[in-house]
Amino acid sequence: MSALSRLPVRLLAFNILLVFLPAAGILFLDTYERHLLDAQERTMAQEGRLLAAALEASGDLDATHARAILVKLGQRQLARLRLVDGTGAVLADSALLGPRRPPDEPSLSPTAALTVPPQQRLLYLIGSLPFRLLRGSGEPDDERDPLDADTGTLTGPEVRAALEGRYGAATRVLGDAARTVMLHIAIPVRLDGEVAGAVVVSQSTRRIMATLYAVRLDVFRVFLASLAVAVVLTLVVATTIARPLARLRLRAGEILDRRGRLTGGFEPSRRRDEIGDLERALAELTRRLEEHLRHTESFAADVSHEFRNPLASIRTATEMALEVEDPEERRHFLEMAQRDVARMERLLSEAREISRIDAHLDEEDRAPVALAALLGGLVESFRLRSGDSGPSFALDGGSEQVMVFGSADRFTQVFDNLLANAASFSPPGGRVTVTLRAAGGQADVVVADEGPGIPEEHRDRIFARFFSWRPAEQAAEHTGLGLAIVRAIVEGYGGRVCCRPRRPHGSEFVVTLPRLPSGASRPARGPASAETIEPDDRNPASGAPEQPVGGGTHQPE
Amino acid sequence: MRRRSLGTAPLFVARCARLRYARGVSGTIAIVEDEQNIRDTVAFALRREGYQVTAFADGAAAWEAFQRSLPDLVVLDIIMPRMDGLELLRRIRSQSATLPVIFVTSRDEEIDRVLGLELGADDYLCKPFSMRELMARVKVLFRRLALAAHPGDDAEQLLEVGRLTLDLRRYTAIWVGSPVPLTVTEFMILRALARRPGHVKTREQLMDEGYPHDTFVSDRTIDSHIKRLRKKFLVIDAGFDRIDTVYGLGYRWAEGTA
Repeated sequence: MSALSRLPVRLLAFNILLVFLPAAGILFLDTYERHLLDAQERTMAQEGRLLAAALEASGDLDATHARAILVKLGQRQLARLRLVDGTGAVLADSALLGPRRPPDEPSLSPTAALTVPPQQRLLYLIGSLPFRLLRGSGEPDDERDPLDADTGTLTGPEVRAALEGRYGAATRVLGDAARTVMLHIAIPVRLDGEVAGAVVVSQSTRRIMATLYAVRLDVFRVFLASLAVAVVLTLVVATTIARPLARLRLRAGEILDRRGRLTGGFEPSRRRDEIGDLERALAELTRRLEEHLRHTESFAADVSHEFRNPLASIRTATEMALEVEDPEERRHFLEMAQRDVARMERLLSEAREISRIDAHLDEEDRAPVALAALLGGLVESFRLRSGDSGPSFALDGGSEQVMVFGSADRFTQVFDNLLANAASFSPPGGRVTVTLRAAGGQADVVVADEGPGIPEEHRDRIFARFFSWRPAEQAAEHTGLGLAIVRAIVEGYGGRVCCRPRRPHGSEFVVTLPRLPSGASRPARGPASAETIEPDDRNPASGAPEQPVGGGTHQPE
Repeated sequence: MRRRSLGTAPLFVARCARLRYARGVSGTIAIVEDEQNIRDTVAFALRREGYQVTAFADGAAAWEAFQRSLPDLVVLDIIMPRMDGLELLRRIRSQSATLPVIFVTSRDEEIDRVLGLELGADDYLCKPFSMRELMARVKVLFRRLALAAHPGDDAEQLLEVGRLTLDLRRYTAIWVGSPVPLTVTEFMILRALARRPGHVKTREQLMDEGYPHDTFVSDRTIDSHIKRLRKKFLVIDAGFDRIDTVYGLGYRWAEGTA
């Protein structure tokens, strides 16, 4: 299953580790066991001292008296209490005394093996396998009790220690599945400052081991259940994370065919998580890539289409020039061919211009440009070229101190194209008005004419490449790239350009550019421009500092 | 294969047609083209051939005039402001199913749209086209029109190859009894293939036959003509497989009497 490769395996490992660590702590660490054993030893020592104190108080190590105390104590004791004299001979033994109260647990008899229900035994064996491997199974000691069977005296090291006046303790391994041991402690009994005997308390750890056994079994059960949950969770994660990722990878691999063309695409996901975000980002990326490729492709097709008309005209005109005999007619056709050659040149240079703007505008030198001075010069030159019959030109807002950041040549190109466009649509004696306004962080330049205006259905397309809405007679003079160049430059500088109708007639072209704060030598990349300028998809507004001049030096027309 | 009469070279056919129309059968031709230079030059050339020419800068202006009276033939651009050539052809066809229409276009890819729409353009030329080629096509179409109006007028010139019959004077093809609607160019290419069944015609040879007056035709043009030829036959006969591609060489009309 491919979903279980790499990422899911790692997730599974982490999940198991998370379950395993606390469980292993309880299963394999001795903390809990040691704590319980300590508590048991303290209880036993307490009992021994009580008995020793009682005997010391009586001032006599009398066997009968001791037996009487043991009988009373033994009714409530789980431990075996023995009293020995100075030689280790047993004076009294709670195990040999009178009717004992029935034990709470059936397995408490010292010699009984720890019994395990068979259905739990396998589980316990599996669970305790690493535990046993780690410690090794305890070998049972030969002597299970300090009692010397031959002499009937207690001779263990703990008894010797007590008879020498110290506290004595010893453990003897009984050896069974739960590593049960017998715990013996000995307390000296002093009479008149002399050690007269000792109290020996013996108890098996079986009770503790039984408790521990139950706890461990429970923990192991929980561990197994958690393990199952971890595996299930990992599988769920694998299907919700790894599978979609694998699918995305597959899609990414298929997106280009062998010839490097975009064939597929990512479908926008409805997932709300990070994978959905990734999927959406990839879908957006391929969509833009596709759009860009289509754009480039259609531009190439458009250019070829635009070239064919003048080419067809040249071909037919020269054909006719060769056929006609009248020199006037021949001249007419040759001149026609020449005009179309000029038109092809114009087309070529503008097409080249626009692709240069697309590719290299960011690399061109930029500097602060005073818009008022630039517009003033342009309006003046149009006024001079216009003559008597042409439109008149006016600049409003020429005293505004508006600085923009970019190439002066490019800004000239923008407004030159807009003015030429306005002039060409102006009726005789019409008026072309250029208005400059600073508004917050932006500069608005409006070029208004009194021409026929642009039908609403074409207002969006007017800036498209090769789109032209001109009377057919004028079409040959215009390439349909002028306004496209305007848009490419303005958007390249992080601005916008739009077209709207003017009252009572005519059109207005509005150029909005990010304004340079007065005194600054380059645009602030702060909120001042970010608020007002929508980032452009194709050419993000880059307030790029001066960079080495690329190949894109502009030739003003 | 048997021939009832010898096929004639297209140049000869064109010359005959010219004589015929020069004798006073002058047609009216409308040229609809937004490029002024092309429009003027084509109109000039057609007038020189003796036709009556009216020129329009867009489809809407032409349609206004056509509603009063239809011309005998239309030379039509596709991309034009106000009303494009496709829409104008659709409207022309609503009035007349047989009025000959030649497209001149600057976009190859539009041709498939034109023919895909089954609007029935009679021929097309890609810009930049040869004026002589256009004149020759106009003549062929006028002749076809004249012969269609007078069936059996002249001695028939038929070329029969198996189940294919070509009417060499009317520029029409019949496959197993059904007429195949071919453009003039497609007919000329098919004629070149059918004249020598089993023999490979290179793309260059087919270009010479399909565009006798034009030396600047790309060989890809032949491929797309062949593709459309096959498609048109397949519409009539789903099992059609007579046009073979000989890789690296060209095309041939597959031999066999079946």
